Amino acid sequence: MRLWLPPVLLAVLLCGLSAGMPALEPLFHWVQPDKQQVIYERESFLFLLQNHLLLVLISAAVGTLVAVAGGIFATRPSGRDFLPLVSQVASIGQTFPPVAVLALAVPVLGFGEAPILVALMLYGLLPILRNTLAGLEGISPAVKEAARGMGMSPLQVLVRAELPLAGRVILAGIRTSVTINIATAAIGSTIGARTLGDPVIAGLVNGNTAYVLQGAILIGLLALATDSLFEALERTWDRRFSPQVAV
Amino acid sequence: MSVSRSESSQLMPNRVIPALGLLALALVWLLDVGTIQPNRIVPGTGHGLVSAVGWGGAALVTSTLAGSILLAFLNLRGRYLIQLALLGLSLALLPLLLDVFASRHLPEDSPFARSSIGAGFWCLLFFLFLMLIETLGRLGSRRGLELLLVVVIGGSWLIFLQSEGLESLSLVREFNARPAKFEQAFWTHLALAFGAVAISAVLAFGLALKMMRSPGWQRPILGLVSFLQTIPSLAVFGLLIAPLSALVAAFPVLETLGIRGIGWTPALLALVAYSLLPMVRNTFVALTEVPENLADAGRGMGMNERQLFFKLKLPLALPVIIEGVRITTIQAIGLTAVAALIGAGGFGSFIFQGLGQAAMDLVLLGALPTIALALLADAVFTMLAASLKPTPATA
Repeated sequence: MRLWLPPVLLAVLLCGLSAGMPALEPLFHWVQPDKQQVIYERESFLFLLQNHLLLVLISAAVGTLVAVAGGIFATRPSGRDFLPLVSQVASIGQTFPPVAVLALAVPVLGFGEAPILVALMLYGLLPILRNTLAGLEGISPAVKEAARGMGMSPLQVLVRAELPLAGRVILAGIRTSVTINIATAAIGSTIGARTLGDPVIAGLVNGNTAYVLQGAILIGLLALATDSLFEALERTWDRRFSPQVAV
Repeated sequence: MSVSRSESSQLMPNRVIPALGLLALALVWLLDVGTIQPNRIVPGTGHGLVSAVGWGGAALVTSTLAGSILLAFLNLRGRYLIQLALLGLSLALLPLLLDVFASRHLPEDSPFARSSIGAGFWCLLFFLFLMLIETLGRLGSRRGLELLLVVVIGGSWLIFLQSEGLESLSLVREFNARPAKFEQAFWTHLALAFGAVAISAVLAFGLALKMMRSPGWQRPILGLVSFLQTIPSLAVFGLLIAPLSALVAAFPVLETLGIRGIGWTPALLALVAYSLLPMVRNTFVALTEVPENLADAGRGMGMNERQLFFKLKLPLALPVIIEGVRITTIQAIGLTAVAALIGAGGFGSFIFQGLGQAAMDLVLLGALPTIALALLADAVFTMLAASLKPTPATA
């Protein structure tokens, strides 16, 4: 269970700091002595954290569903024609800077939460798609042949052999996607989403370093907590599946 | 060779291009091709395909796409080459649609009126590019052909953008309002991104060498650089402001060097920190994965360790190191845009200025060059890595 200790500790620290930021007022007064107000109060940090998490969770869920479905389609006999294009698009798409994608969403969809969600979904599904393709294509044909030889239907081969074998690589793709999206959602507060980026932007605009610090620390903690959660998930996955895979 | 395989696949009907072509047809007819705005901020009125470019233009667009779809079913030997010519020409001449649109709809007497590109046009552009990528993929990689396409399409777009017809295009208007600022943003962006890449390349090389000499350092160094990569960019930029301001307050001499809590200093520091992970990882992997039997062969030829490193390991590792530089450069170009938030300048300043003023074309003026720069860096380093790949003298 030592595996799950870092994510739990970081999550507790994150929630504790979000709830108890006002208690640190003296500290921030020391950082920013020339300002009356040193604790960001336009929204509660807990609300911003919740909103930030919600954006990332929804985009990760939708992105995973679409990307895995797309990856499965492009590796079946009926969709194989699309494989070269899909993998090209997945790799060219990742060349686009996330900020630029976020900025392009505004002229098309307007300000607010919706354009950010769409941008996060579209951009976030690329690494998952790429890893799904890599995972499914990386399975040796002999394994699939053996599964078919055991009398499995194509669907059974997919669900019971291919997806478990490719799962670890797909999980790594989701991790990359979520890491990028946490950072991009933070920048999203420049286009009207209420995320933990808000205090940073407000602080930069008003020259209040204390606000900037509060936002930056919480964003950093959120990223670290999520990353350590994925670390634990990947290790658990390895333990559960690797012995069988090695055979 | 792969000739026989590509010939046989050439004669099978292609299903991808028709699918893309039909989608493009549907979207270009359903969505607005362009909008006319009375001035910079007021939202404009949209025009569909027929209204924008007339029945003639609509027929031309439709027949081009239909021709491309039909071509995919034809049992013709050179059909992918014809397809490539058709798509390349359409892409090169695409700005003509905007030109016609502006000349048909722009009111003569209002100098502030401007035309904007609509979703239908963007979709047409996007799907034509996808069809082009698919066609290129079916033809097999041919560097010369790709280069020719880039020159023809890019050159044609540049000529169109400088012509009279597109002068009313809002994007062009935004550019014409601030050519000096645009040039300055361009150089700032390049200097920050490439400066960070250069510094991190030197640092990463040193770190990779250290990791090779003393394996005990591998875990801590890799752990530290991946920790840096995990922290979101906005947080890193924010966290650097306070310590840097304190440092400058303590040592005023730094301020005379141009070092401040905001601006290029925290931007460059953060960019270097971000660039370390891909750079260190690729350099280390590249240098350690030189096959041992090659090193042995080198030793057998009487090379000492120093010669072994410079004459054998480094040349063999170079393509993978360049791949690291490619990833790092693309990432740095994107992050430099974010650095505009802390006053570092570059194309990001147009993006955030435009978002602040709700002037969407200013946002585009920042976002499109950033994307173009990233794509260009990607292409250049991919080609460089491919050309440096050592070819075995005896196959």
